[in-house]
Amino acid sequence: MHNILIIAKREYLERVRSRSFVIMTFLIPALMFGVSVVPTLLMNRGTGETKHMVVVTADRDTGELIRSRIEQRQDEEKSGSDADTTGDKKRSLPPTHFAVEISTDTSDANHTALTQQVKDKKLDGFLWAPPDAIASRKLAFVTNDTSSFIENGVLGASVSDALRRSALKSKGLKLDEIEAALQPVEVDPQSPLGKDAPNPQIMFFATFGMVMVLYMTVLLYGINVMRSILEEKTSRIMEVMLSTASAKEMMAGKILGVGAVGLTQVGIWALTAGILSAGTLVATAGMLKNVLSIKLLVFFGIYFLLGYILYSALCAAIGSMVNSEQEAQQLQFVVMMPLILSIIVIVNIFQHPSSSMAFWGSIFPFTAPLVMFTRIAMQTPPAWQIGLSIGLMIVTIYVLVWLCGRIYRVGILMYGKKPNLPEIMKWIKYA
Amino acid sequence: MQTIELNQVRKSYDKFVAVNDLSFNIPQGAVFGLLGPNGAGKTSTIRMMIGITVPDSGNISLFGKPFERKSLHKVGYLPEERGLYKKMKILDQLIFLGELHGLSSSVARQKALEWTKRLEIDAWLQKKVEELSKGMQQKIQFIAALLHDPDFIIMDEPFFGLDPVNATLLKDVMLDLKKQGKTILFSTHRMDQVEKLCDAICLINKGTAVLQGDLKSIKSGYGKSNVQIEYEGNGDFLNKSPLVSACNNYGNYAEIKLAPGADAQTLLREAAASARINRFELMEPSLEEIFINTVGKTNA
Repeated sequence: MHNILIIAKREYLERVRSRSFVIMTFLIPALMFGVSVVPTLLMNRGTGETKHMVVVTADRDTGELIRSRIEQRQDEEKSGSDADTTGDKKRSLPPTHFAVEISTDTSDANHTALTQQVKDKKLDGFLWAPPDAIASRKLAFVTNDTSSFIENGVLGASVSDALRRSALKSKGLKLDEIEAALQPVEVDPQSPLGKDAPNPQIMFFATFGMVMVLYMTVLLYGINVMRSILEEKTSRIMEVMLSTASAKEMMAGKILGVGAVGLTQVGIWALTAGILSAGTLVATAGMLKNVLSIKLLVFFGIYFLLGYILYSALCAAIGSMVNSEQEAQQLQFVVMMPLILSIIVIVNIFQHPSSSMAFWGSIFPFTAPLVMFTRIAMQTPPAWQIGLSIGLMIVTIYVLVWLCGRIYRVGILMYGKKPNLPEIMKWIKYA
Repeated sequence: MQTIELNQVRKSYDKFVAVNDLSFNIPQGAVFGLLGPNGAGKTSTIRMMIGITVPDSGNISLFGKPFERKSLHKVGYLPEERGLYKKMKILDQLIFLGELHGLSSSVARQKALEWTKRLEIDAWLQKKVEELSKGMQQKIQFIAALLHDPDFIIMDEPFFGLDPVNATLLKDVMLDLKKQGKTILFSTHRMDQVEKLCDAICLINKGTAVLQGDLKSIKSGYGKSNVQIEYEGNGDFLNKSPLVSACNNYGNYAEIKLAPGADAQTLLREAAASARINRFELMEPSLEEIFINTVGKTNA
């Protein structure tokens, strides 16, 4: 135990003091921001310009209806975004405004002419809606901006809305009757627990948030464990260390030390994020309180730590088998697969919380950390299942550490040689 | 008391027998040479002595007790494959290794300072290993093996890659340790380097001991059949004489192996007749000769 702590301490201090740790601590959040926020910003960008478009229909009435729906929809969008994103400048960029003209010339010649105008950028787009196209429920919108799908989505919704109204109108319904018939109906799921039950949407996001934290941490830092063991092999220091510490102690020390580095970094990020968004957190605290009970946080701690150690041990085992970074990368799918499997199972659990897939997923040690945690958040499973999953994970961690200690010890003493599976099996048997 | 005892120790990897029923023991305070050509099984033997691997059969006792990991705190090991954490500062590295060997961090620091001063490398304590020359890294490794004041010191190819100045420095340290009553094991295939230091040897080849025992008695068993001559004048007589079976002539110094049954006194008279003799000395065979002789025979 003493040796494990000495080795873990060294790993931890050397890494936390290193320049790359400091750089990563700043770089990763910047990168995350870049990857997640910037594209959303770009997609939501409204340019504030006015786009000229032409709606081509056989009769002017339908054309007018479409125009009024597009304009009305635009007004709704505008007021809606103003209402719910006060203070959020990213979203409040002015939306694109469509200036709609109506044409009743459905001849091929007009189609060609309009296409040419769009090509020449004299026109931003035209909607081709002759009666046969309307009957087949498929209209062409010719535009240079085929990729700005948010705009095009809004357009599509407006047009279907308009056509629905037009159809009802042609059946002789009055305008207010149409409005009443088209009013959407809201279904509000309610738990038998009444008001104490958590809001399912918030619960979904809270759970998924935690699952993602676990997933990312394992991905980022498990790989570090693998790399650190590889490093050890190339530095050739282990023979000195093995003359006083056992291979198992070395493995455990490395997993703990490198693991603690990961926790430190995530801790720094969480703290910074917490401070930066303190205002928002206070505002949503009331909602979160219903979802994030102390019990859930404790279970998050347990499953996060166990999952993290388990995956680190798996990475350590891979690191002990291979001789180079390239070989390690080839085997990374072994680590990725159960993680991806877990995510698939979780998506399924949200639909069917008490399926047998949920049960087995939460017992199998490599998916248990994510799956069991999700189950606990949704509806607490029986205590024996929780106990069993925790017990199995601890046993698996111990076996993995023992196993990779053995592989490692024999592996390092036979440097240079790339082992195959039968050889690894033999190494495990070697005392 | 015996510092270490190996009894019929055997280790094989697959079908390859690395160490074949090897037995020897090293009494406390002795300097012992584990000698043999490359691939003879020296390193495999050492790894079993310090518990990196476990023998397939036979047993090892350390400090008079059956092997236990606890005893390793009293063993210092300099492996053949040298290695240190490249990015770590020298002092931190030494403290870390000292702690692993059971020292407290403050004692380890103090010892590291003492040793680096003694080996004239204390100016580099705050440098990273990768900034040091190979020779300096050797010294650090050497210190790492001695930091915790072990009673039993194992050195695998200790002089490998050292320049003469540093080799002498290291040899002095070893002699000093011997004086303090430490037990030392050298493993090497460079006999000339350890010949003057060892009390006893075990010569192994292909995992089997081919010659072992007290160095003096081994040598005397081979008799004095070597002659060193320093002379002035014509050295042609050395090539002609039937008394000489082999000769290394350096101009005015020659090393001679006498023919079987030849009398050294006759050679001296012959030599004096044709050249001026400044020195004429009868020698024991060198360890290297014995080694080549013995290993050559077993290989044949």
